[in-house]
Amino acid sequence: MPLTRRQFLTLTGGSAAAAVIFQACGVPEDELKVQAPIGMPEDIVTGLQNWYATTCRWCPTGEGIVVKVMEGRAKKVEGNVDHPINRGTHSARCEAGLQALYHPDRIRGPLVRSGERGSGRFEEISWTDAIGRLTLQLRRLSDSGDQSALAMVTEPLAGHTGMVAERFLARYGGRRVSYEPLERTVLRSVVKRVFDQDVMPDLDVERAAYVLSFGADWLNTWISPVRYSRGYGEFRQGDRKRGTFVHADSRFSMTAANADRWLHVEPGSEGVLALSIAQVIVSEGLGNSAAADELTDGGYIDLDAFAPERVASKISTAVPSDRMADDIRQVARGFAEHRPSLAFGGGSAAAHTNGLFNMAAIYSLNYLVDSVDRPGGIVFNPRPPLQDVPASQTTTPFSTWQSLISEMNRERVKVMMVRGADPFYGLPDSAGFRAASFKVPYIFSFSGTMDDTTAMSDLVLPELDPLETWDTDIPDPGPGYQMVSFQQPVVRPFFEERGRHLGARGFGDVLMTIAQDLNVDLGLPGETFREVLQDGARRLFNLRRGSVSAPDFRSFWNGVLQRGGWWDVGAVSTDSVPSRAPSLPTPTDPVFDGDPDSHPMHLIPFASASLTDGRGAALPWLQATPDPTSTATWRTWVEINASVADDMGIREGDVVRITSAHGSMEALAFPNPATPFKVVAVPVGQGHRAGGRYARNRGSNVLSILGPGSDSETGALAWAATRVKIEKTGDWMRLPKFENAVSEEPRDEHHEIIKITPVDSGGVH
Amino acid sequence: MGEKSWGMVIDVDKCTGCQACVVACQSENNIPINEEEHFNQRRAIEWIRVERYWEGEFPDVKARFIPILCQHCGEAPCEPVCPVFATYHNDQGLNVQVYNRCVGTRFCANNCPYHVRFFNFWEPEWPETLTNQLNPDVTVRSRGIMEKCTFCVQRIRRTERESERDGVDLDDGDRALSPACVNACPTSALVFGDFADPESKVSRLKEQEEKEDGRAYRLLENYGTEPSVVYLKKVEEGAKSASHG
Amino acid sequence: MAGLISLVGVAVLAGTVLVVTFVISAWFGRPIVFGYDDGPAQPIAFPHTVHAGVGPLLNADGSPRLDEEGQPQRVNVMSGLGLDCTFCHRMAATEAAATIPSVGLCMSCHVTVGDGNDEIEKLRQAADTGTPIDWTRVHRVPDHVHFVHEAHIRFFTERDGVPASQVCSTCHGEVAAMTTVRQDRSLKMSDCVDCHRDNGAPTDCTTCHY
Repeated sequence: MPLTRRQFLTLTGGSAAAAVIFQACGVPEDELKVQAPIGMPEDIVTGLQNWYATTCRWCPTGEGIVVKVMEGRAKKVEGNVDHPINRGTHSARCEAGLQALYHPDRIRGPLVRSGERGSGRFEEISWTDAIGRLTLQLRRLSDSGDQSALAMVTEPLAGHTGMVAERFLARYGGRRVSYEPLERTVLRSVVKRVFDQDVMPDLDVERAAYVLSFGADWLNTWISPVRYSRGYGEFRQGDRKRGTFVHADSRFSMTAANADRWLHVEPGSEGVLALSIAQVIVSEGLGNSAAADELTDGGYIDLDAFAPERVASKISTAVPSDRMADDIRQVARGFAEHRPSLAFGGGSAAAHTNGLFNMAAIYSLNYLVDSVDRPGGIVFNPRPPLQDVPASQTTTPFSTWQSLISEMNRERVKVMMVRGADPFYGLPDSAGFRAASFKVPYIFSFSGTMDDTTAMSDLVLPELDPLETWDTDIPDPGPGYQMVSFQQPVVRPFFEERGRHLGARGFGDVLMTIAQDLNVDLGLPGETFREVLQDGARRLFNLRRGSVSAPDFRSFWNGVLQRGGWWDVGAVSTDSVPSRAPSLPTPTDPVFDGDPDSHPMHLIPFASASLTDGRGAALPWLQATPDPTSTATWRTWVEINASVADDMGIREGDVVRITSAHGSMEALAFPNPATPFKVVAVPVGQGHRAGGRYARNRGSNVLSILGPGSDSETGALAWAATRVKIEKTGDWMRLPKFENAVSEEPRDEHHEIIKITPVDSGGVH
Repeated sequence: MGEKSWGMVIDVDKCTGCQACVVACQSENNIPINEEEHFNQRRAIEWIRVERYWEGEFPDVKARFIPILCQHCGEAPCEPVCPVFATYHNDQGLNVQVYNRCVGTRFCANNCPYHVRFFNFWEPEWPETLTNQLNPDVTVRSRGIMEKCTFCVQRIRRTERESERDGVDLDDGDRALSPACVNACPTSALVFGDFADPESKVSRLKEQEEKEDGRAYRLLENYGTEPSVVYLKKVEEGAKSASHG
Repeated sequence: MAGLISLVGVAVLAGTVLVVTFVISAWFGRPIVFGYDDGPAQPIAFPHTVHAGVGPLLNADGSPRLDEEGQPQRVNVMSGLGLDCTFCHRMAATEAAATIPSVGLCMSCHVTVGDGNDEIEKLRQAADTGTPIDWTRVHRVPDHVHFVHEAHIRFFTERDGVPASQVCSTCHGEVAAMTTVRQDRSLKMSDCVDCHRDNGAPTDCTTCHY
C-alpha cells in the first residue's frame, strides 16, 4: 500500500515535531487559493493579457501609452504605436507610473488635519464630510462676495480637466495660478514674439540636417523628450544622411553628451552666441538676405559688434578666444549650409534675467536659414480642435507668484485649492511662500500622495491615479497637426473596495460636485466628468474627419479609446510665416544673484532625468534609475569639475555645503571631467519634506536656495542665475551610483593584446 | 519551436543614454527594487544597463553611452563553469539561466567578461501593494540564485504559442515578441530579431554593417565568445569612417 | 558532560533520521509535494460527478454523441449532466490557464435549479452578497513552472482527433467520477519530462522555466 503523507505523519505518532516540519515544508496557504469572482469580464481572466490605450501623465507632454492589464491589475506600460507624439516608444517615467498606481503610501481616502498645520497628523473622514467642509468655506466666501480670495493652484492644465477648472473659476470666481518649477513662460513669450504664434510649435528634429540647440536638455527632460528622441534616432541613422548636432550649454548635460560638438558658454551668454552666429551668416552672405535685412532692421542693428573674434572671450572664459571664434564660425557655416537646419533653446538658456533676450536671439536664427514653418525646422501647430478645451495653459510667471505671496501675507487669500502642483517644494525659500501660507486659513489639496504641499494642507481630497480615471490631453507642443489624446481608466480604482465614502475620486468629478453643492451652474454638457469628456468626443465625431471614421458615435467613441486619441494629419496650421521677421532683440547682460567675490561659482540646477522637477521622487524605480552622465541614484549630488575639485581637496562622496545669499544645502560631490570650471550643477528632484517612504528626507532641494531674480520682461524665475560658494563639511558618504569605482588597470601601450578567434583556437573551447 | 537564432543589433550612434530600457526591463522582469544600499554594495541588479565613458577633459570632453545586456554568447564562458548545468545554450540561440537548477555558486558571474550576471543576495521584497504590478509570466527569483537577461523569453514563448494556436507565422518584427527594452527605446537604437532568417531586420542590418566600412562590431570579440548582440559603432563627426572594434 | 553531549548527539541523529525518512518517503511514495493527496475540502461541496458525469453529449464536429446502443447520449440527472469540461473551464482550450468559472456562470443554472440544497444556498448567498468564492486549489505547479493548458490540449486533440474535454483526463484523471477532486498524477518534473519525451515535445528548459 502506498503511504500517503498524512498516513506517514500519523504513523510517526502524529507528533507535534513532524507536524511542524510538515508545515515548514508546505506551501503557503494563500497560494492554494483560487478565487471565483462574481462575474468574469475578460480582463480578470487568469493568464489573459489585455492592452488598453491611455495617456501618460508623467512626462512634460502627454504621450500615448498602452497598459497591459492581467487579472485586473496593470502590469506593464509600453508606447502606443499609433500615437503621433511618441509612436510606440516611451520613457522611464511613463513606465514608473505603475508604481504610483500601486504605491504603498497612496492616500486611501479623504483626510482632515488633526494636529498643527504641517505636523503630518491627519484623520480619515468620509467624502461627504470632506466635500461639505470644502463647500462650507467656499460658500462663506461667496456669501461675503469675496470669491477672489480663492486661489486655485494647479500644474499647467490641459484637456478637459483644464476646461472644467477654467469653467469653475469663471462661474464661481477666484483666480487660477499655475505652477511649474522650471517654468516655460519665457519660451511661450518668445514663440509669440518671434513667430507670432499662440501655440507652441513642433521642432522637427527628425527631418533636420543640422540641429543647433542652446541650454535645453531636450533628449532628456525638456518639453517632449520622447518625441524629440524619436526624431533624433532618425536624424542620426535614418533614411537620410546623418545629421550634425551642436549643443551650446553652460553645463555638460546628457544632451550635450550626445551632440557632435558641445560649445561651452558662460551662463547667460547664450543670446550673445546666437547673435555672433547670426553675424557670421549675415556677413558671409550665407543666409536669406531678406530675412537678414529684416532681422537687423535694414542694417540699423549693427551685428559687427558680435563678430566671433569680438565676443568669443565673453561667451566662454574657459576656451581660448581664437579657438572659440573659430568654433563659432564653423558652427555658423555648418548651420547655414546644411539645410534644413533648426535652432532652438530653452532650459537654463531661458532661466536668466536676460532669458527673453537669449531665447529671442536663438529662435531668430531660424529666419536666416528659411526654417520657419518648414519641414526640418520650426513647424507651426494649429489651434486645438475643440475651442473650449485648452492645450496646456500658460504658466503663471514667478513675478505673479511674488504678488500672490504678498497678498497672502496681507491675508487676502482665504482659500487655496492645490491640484497637481507642489509649490511648497518648488518655490525658492527666498520667495517666502511657506511663511505666507500660514496666513491662508484653508489649504485644500487634491493630491493622491502626501507631497510637501499636501502635508501642509488642512484637508486632502485624494484624486485617482491617471491610470484609474478619465481625461484628455492636448499635447503642447503637438505633432504639427491637430490631436486630442484620450486618457481612460485601465483598471478599476485600487481603493474601490473601501466603498463610496472612502478611496479616491477624480478631480473633475469633485469640482463638478462642489459646483452643484454651491448651486453654481458650470454649464457643462454632462452630469459626470466622463459625460463631459464624451461630449468632447461627440464634437470631434461631428467634425467627420481625422484618424477614426465611424458610422455612428458609439463606434467612434470605441475607436478613439482603442487608439488612444483622435488626430487629423491634414489639420495643420493655417498661420503663415510672419511676413516680416521681427528685429533682433537688444542684448542685455545677465544679472546674477550673489556677490561674485564671496559667491564665485554659478549654480546651474537641472531637472533630474528620472525625477524631473521632483514629481518622480516617490517612485522607487525612478529613484533607482541612474542619471545618464553621473550614473548616480537615490541622492542629491553636485557636479564639480574634477580639477577644480582636486584643487579644493574634494573627493567623490564628500559632503559639500553649497551656500547662496539665501540659504545653503548639502550635496555629495561628484567631480567629473566635463563640468565647466566655474559651474556647479545640482539636480532638482530630491529634498522632499514628505512624499512617502521613498522620497521623504532624502537628499536636498536645490530649488530652496535660489535667489528670487526673474527675467526682466516676462517675470519668469531666473533659476540659473544664482551664485554660490562651496565648501567641504568634512563628512563623507558613499554616492550611490551604478558606475563602478574600480579604476582601469594601467596598460603598457606597446604590449600586444592576444587575440583569440574561434578559427585560431581550433578545438580549444 | 523552429530553428531560430535570436539576437539584437544595438546602434550606439542612436543611443542617448536615457535609461528607458533599464526601467522597462525592471518592470517586465520583476527585478527587485534597487535600494540605495544595493548600489553602495555594488549589488544593484540591472539586466540591461547603460555604461557611460568619459573621453577627454573640459572643454574638450565627450561622454559615450553604451547599453550592455547579456550577449547570449555562442561560446558562452558562463556555461562550462556551472557545476549543475543551470546555464546552457538552447537551440534558439538563447543563453538560458534555469532558476530551479541554480545552486548559487556564482562561478558563471565570475567567468562572464561582460558583467551581466547578477546574484540575488537578498530575498526580493516589495511593499505589499507594489506586488500587484509583478508580471505573472516571470518567476520571482529567490535569494541565492543567479539571474540575467533572458531576451524576455516569456514574450517569445507567449507569442510563439499564440501564433501556433492561431495558425499565423511568427513575425520577428512583432512588438509582442520583442524584449521590453527594445519596445521602450525612444530612438529605436535597439532592434531584436532572428539571425537565422536572412530576411529579418537584424540580419539585414548586420549584413549591411559588416561590410568593409560598416560599423558593426561585437563586445570583446577577441575573446571568441561569439556574442549574439551586434553593436553599431558611434559615428564621430569629421572622423574617417569607422574601423572595426 | 560527555553524557550530555552524547545524548544531544543521539537526539540530533534521531531527528535527522526522522526528517530524512520523511523526505525520502515523500519523494518516492505517492504523497504529492505541491498539492493534496486526498481531495481537499472545498468551501462548497461541488460534485463533478453531477455536473460532468456521463461524458460529453456532442462530438467535436457538433454531431450528437451516440451511446452503446446507437442512441444519442441523454442527460440523466442521476448519473450526471455530462457538461463539457470547457463549458465551465472556459479558457482551457485557448489560453494558458483553464480558469475557474465565475459565480455568475454557476448562477445561470442555479437561479432555478437546486432549491433546498444547502450547498447551492451557499452559492446563491455568495452571488447575492457579491462575495467571491475562495476555492482550494487542487493542482498546482511551483512559480517557476509555466504550464499552458492550450498547447497540451491542442496536441492531444489533434493527435487523437477528439474534443478538448476528452483529453483532460490525461493529466487530471477521471474528474467526472470524482465527488471530491483530488490530484491524480504526481505533476513533478519527471512526470512532465517523461511525457514530453514520449510525445516528442520539446524538453528545452525554457519551454516551462523562465
